[in-house]
Amino acid sequence: MVATGEYAAELRGIAKRYADIVAVDYIDLDIKYGEILGLLGPNGSGKSTTLKIILGLVKPDSGSMKVLGINAEEDPVAIKRLVGYVPESPRLYEFLTGLEYLDFTGDIYGINASDKKTRIEEYLEALDLEGREGDMISSYSQGMKQKIALISAFLHKPKLLILDEPLNALDPKSARIVKDLLRELAAKGVTAILSTHVLEIAQAMCDRIAILYEGRILALGNMEELRKKAQLPGSNLEDVFLKLTGTGAIKEIVEALLK
Amino acid sequence: MNLKNVLRLISVDVKSGRLIRAGIFRRYKERRIYQYLLYGGACIIGLLVGLAVGNLYSRLPVSEEKTLLHQTAQQLFTSLPTIVLLYSLVFTMMGQIQRSGIKVSIQPPYWLPITWGEHTLAASFAHIIGLPLASIVLLSTAVFSLSIFLAELPLATITILALLASAFLASTTTEIFRVLQVRITGSVYKSSGKVAIWVRFLGSLLFLVVFYIVWFSISSGSGLITIIETVTGVQGAVWFFPYVWLGMTLSSFINGLTVQTIIFSLASIAFILLLFYLAVKFNTRFGLYEPPAITVSKGVYVPKTSLLGKFGFSSLEAAVIRKDFKAFTRRRELMYTFIMPIIIIIAPLMQYLGMLGASVPSEASLFLVAWILLAPGPLMAMMVGIMIIGEEGSSVWLFYSSPITTRSLVKCKYAFMCILSFAVMLICGAIGILVTRPSLQLAFTLLIESTFLIFALGAVSLRAGIKGADFVETPRPRMVRPLTSVINTLMCMLLAVVTVSPLIPYAMSLISLPFTIPLPEIDVYVAISISAVIAFVITFVFYRMAFKNAAEFLTKAEV
Ligand SMILES: Nc1ncnc2c1ncn2[C@@H]1O[C@H](COP(=O)(O)OP(=O)(O)O)[C@@H](O)[C@H]1O
Ligand SMILES: [Mg+2]
Repeated sequence: MVATGEYAAELRGIAKRYADIVAVDYIDLDIKYGEILGLLGPNGSGKSTTLKIILGLVKPDSGSMKVLGINAEEDPVAIKRLVGYVPESPRLYEFLTGLEYLDFTGDIYGINASDKKTRIEEYLEALDLEGREGDMISSYSQGMKQKIALISAFLHKPKLLILDEPLNALDPKSARIVKDLLRELAAKGVTAILSTHVLEIAQAMCDRIAILYEGRILALGNMEELRKKAQLPGSNLEDVFLKLTGTGAIKEIVEALLK
Repeated sequence: MNLKNVLRLISVDVKSGRLIRAGIFRRYKERRIYQYLLYGGACIIGLLVGLAVGNLYSRLPVSEEKTLLHQTAQQLFTSLPTIVLLYSLVFTMMGQIQRSGIKVSIQPPYWLPITWGEHTLAASFAHIIGLPLASIVLLSTAVFSLSIFLAELPLATITILALLASAFLASTTTEIFRVLQVRITGSVYKSSGKVAIWVRFLGSLLFLVVFYIVWFSISSGSGLITIIETVTGVQGAVWFFPYVWLGMTLSSFINGLTVQTIIFSLASIAFILLLFYLAVKFNTRFGLYEPPAITVSKGVYVPKTSLLGKFGFSSLEAAVIRKDFKAFTRRRELMYTFIMPIIIIIAPLMQYLGMLGASVPSEASLFLVAWILLAPGPLMAMMVGIMIIGEEGSSVWLFYSSPITTRSLVKCKYAFMCILSFAVMLICGAIGILVTRPSLQLAFTLLIESTFLIFALGAVSLRAGIKGADFVETPRPRMVRPLTSVINTLMCMLLAVVTVSPLIPYAMSLISLPFTIPLPEIDVYVAISISAVIAFVITFVFYRMAFKNAAEFLTKAEV
């Protein structure tokens, strides 16, 4: 099932509410093949929900979408087969060892034995997990768990990566490896959507950035376009972000807190 | 020690039992009704029992029976603390085992400004909230109302205090045990590598079995009077054992031995304080101790090609089955399921072997055979079936995000449940046949019916387990909503009866009844065939329904 069409994901009028909380407020979003798109926004702005909707973990209340050219309503499993997903603070099977977990997810995606072996070993080495792969996950640190989750998302060579705060808890070296890996994969046509609330990560990793606020996309584009939109030429992403999300009064807030 | 902190900690623990599910957690409103119902109900029942017995007592004319009744009541009071102690011990220990191994559960106190003393006291109280406390309330109100008629109010007061002290004693012991167990198993894992998993598995089972046997041998037997007599008898014999000092206080008081009463009550208080002190010390020392990692494998990684592939399972399905097998041998809350078949075998066998001295009526051994050959497999299927989805806990996102189809999901979970249940059926069956030596036809009939029931009840329970799955994991994995579980049990009982009903005439022909029931005569094998058809229909219908529920479960994705 090779994906065709112009966009890796097309979202049209997607909305999701939880009781009286609006998590996603009628967004339209087109994600191109081979691009790294960042969802940037403060806590609770709907980043995770948007990602879950794209993967089909959360059913939107309204709107339609196509992911990898597949209609999400019609064949959700086909989409999942082509996607690699890392949730926000992933909960893994604590009673398995790291290796057993990767072996398990490899089987889930139907990777053949020899590919599975080489890829798992390569990734374990690249992310400095060698020597610990035989230990139960319950003894892993947060960052190690994050690495295992990342590896299991990369293992089956997905066409689309959906990564919720992927660099969470990673050490600088591993973060760098993941960043470079995403770049290389993007060059090969793999699309990635990632969420972050850290401005530096968005600026450093993403081709385009969507600024989310209260479930809406305030701005979408590369750095240049965002600056233009905020009418702040030459400024950094932080100023753009603060201006667009209307959180300019930082100084007063901090002063009030210090009283 | 700040008692307010203790109360706050207890209230957090109580609240951890809340039902958390999407939709109802916003603007959460506590519904206390169930708690009121539990304790209020216990109070009322206790009062009624006390009043009823008391009334009966006061109506009796002065006679030997009346004195006897009075004495029995006194004996009962004396034995109550020890009984409550044992009961609370079993209950709190079980509660500990079911707590999830996941570290998130009760950590915040570790970094909040709370002393270990406060923490330990709160934990000890929190352990007994719920059923143990309700039963103490019941006993206390019964003792109190009865004592009015007996004119034994002082004794009743001391008994009630002793009951509370017993429960506290039990839960403090559990707390000590918990801390030490973490520490000791920690060193076992460290030294034994891969074997650690099996050490832990067998160790946990052994512990549970021993506990159940102790529990069984005190709670079964020939009625309340025997228990009381045993307890009071044993109590006197082991007076030097601190755990019976509370009971000794009461018996000294009844016998009018003032000095002894004072000594034993002071000793009891001292013992409780000592235990509590120890619990605090152990917590201070090891409370933050994390057991070291179990290193399961070292060296080269060789992907396994599994046997399951040959039986028509896809690599995905086989992977899930293997994962579940590991879950059931490595997660303590799940190991708990294996205890059930063991108990099913042990409990009646203990009685059976005990009965061997006297002449065993053939009906009794017939029931025993039927029970051991028929029950374990289907019961296992019910238990595993209903929790096999909820068991995924918060890792369930992996199922939501992975390309698993509803068909595969139902298939591999059902297969795992069947494999486990058949293993249990065969092992229990082998033991049962060895011990009781039934006729070949009887053994065959029972085992084949057990097989039918595994398939049928397994499908019924699996469907219920998908529908009522509860993925909340703290402080203990819920796995399934309580109501679903109750309804499923009733449903399974009903369907089990329906399935085996064609064999009722056969069963009747084996027992010699004093009267005859007019039943149609059916050949056993015809009856088995009818039963097979019924089982097949049930299995088919519920397996199909499970697809629908699984589809709902995978698309709704409660994350
Ligand atoms: N399962 C849920 N039930 C209720 N509300 C939810 C649920 N998931 C998310 N929300 C709400 O939706 C909003 C957006 O959440 P989320 O997408 O997780 O934000 P973030 O941008 O931080 O990832 C938040 O207000 C959150 O409280
Ligand atoms: Mg988020």
